[in-house]
Amino acid sequence: MTAEAIGFWLVAAVLLATSLAVVLTPNLFHAVLFLAAALVSTGVVFLLLDAAFLFAVQLLLYAGGVITIMVFAIMLTEQLVGERLRQTSRWVINGAILAAAVFVGVLGFVVRSARPARPPAADRTADLARALVGPFAAPFELLAVLLVAALVGAIYFARTED
Amino acid sequence: MTHLIVAFVLLNAIILVVAYITLLERKFAARMQSRIGPYYVGWPHGWLQPIADALKLMLKEDVVPTLSDRWVYNLAPLVFLLPCMLIFATIPFAPGLGLADLNIGVLFFLAVSALEIVGLFMGGWGSNNKYALLSAMRAVNQIISYDLPFIFAALVPVVLAGSMQMSAIVVAQQGLFGWFVFYPGIGQLAFLAYVIATIAAENRVPFDILEAESELVAGFRVEYSGMKFALIQLGEYAHLVGTSFLGALLFLGGWLGPGPTWLGPLWFLLKAVLVFLLVTWVRWSFVRIRVDQILAISWKLLLPATVILLLATGFVVAAGFGRGA
Repeated sequence: MTAEAIGFWLVAAVLLATSLAVVLTPNLFHAVLFLAAALVSTGVVFLLLDAAFLFAVQLLLYAGGVITIMVFAIMLTEQLVGERLRQTSRWVINGAILAAAVFVGVLGFVVRSARPARPPAADRTADLARALVGPFAAPFELLAVLLVAALVGAIYFARTED
Repeated sequence: MTHLIVAFVLLNAIILVVAYITLLERKFAARMQSRIGPYYVGWPHGWLQPIADALKLMLKEDVVPTLSDRWVYNLAPLVFLLPCMLIFATIPFAPGLGLADLNIGVLFFLAVSALEIVGLFMGGWGSNNKYALLSAMRAVNQIISYDLPFIFAALVPVVLAGSMQMSAIVVAQQGLFGWFVFYPGIGQLAFLAYVIATIAAENRVPFDILEAESELVAGFRVEYSGMKFALIQLGEYAHLVGTSFLGALLFLGGWLGPGPTWLGPLWFLLKAVLVFLLVTWVRWSFVRIRVDQILAISWKLLLPATVILLLATGFVVAAGFGRGA
């Protein structure tokens, strides 16, 4: 087994363990920390696939941004002193069945699709940029509009009644 | 194997630089306040003070609060330190002298340094202390506000150089007045925004509400003692030193300078210390400002300004005035 393969299986194990911990731990703050670990290990998977750009973006947006917002939400909703919020997983079996179904579906897709003979050229960052402002410019802009809509909606819901 | 050795040497060199930069700051602050600063430990001018401090912290008792979230509390200093050390991985100290000159070097730096906040939360939450928790909340506030201006300011040289690779950015700054800080208009404004965002991101006075001594004692690290406290301090200063190095690389031409090439790392260190002293100078000159003022500066001034600056840089480069290869 090559060092890359060993690295992949290690990261995969960590990813799986932390992801399970996210949904199974009762402590909400711990769940967010496990989520951070899971997101970072997802980034490491990108790194192992020679996609350093995606690794950095994953860290910047998810581990840096999303986790920050989540902790912010927990800290604002939970009282500073007093009882802590608990995470309960009543539908854990249904969730497991659903996850297994999705896994089988993805697995089937991966097994049947043709794999590239060798990895693409090292630096695809410039290609990515060209794709974003070229053929994918319209979907990219639409996503931005969607995000703005979500932002405006959130502000609308969060406004004080008066 | 050579990579491991280089990494080990680099790590220890960084720790040494970080240790001595604290002495520099104390001496600098003392000068500004007409004092002498550390003097008695080591001759001349107390040069052994950082070593003595480190020894003292190693020998101190390690106190863990009974009601703390034990795992989170104990892991927090490590989680805090790790990204602060990792950011040095992509910085080239001279042509070819660095751990990994990634083609996304600047982005890697920004992404990894964003992870620092996780360790900060863990410390603030795990301590189970009101002051620490308040400090962590303020940290979230501040980091959400100042990460974006910091990134946008750092992206201006990236756009000018047309590359995210650190060595390519330095190479693009060659020539007389080639440093990006001398780039007319854009360079100076971007550097100013970078320094302001650095001060805020490093939580230093006047943006130090998250460890405001008079209100929160010591912020999120109030419960830490001994080596854990030392690790947090080390991480904080390492992050500041790393950001100073990045500033020197992006705006002040990195290892470029007169003299033979082997002087490169020395020039680079000198420029990084210059950026560090700039930040320190502000720290010891101004008073702390209020939370709402801090947020207003970021959202109403710095963020729009840096976005406009980045757009302007884009237009300048599109007009053919870029420095990219």
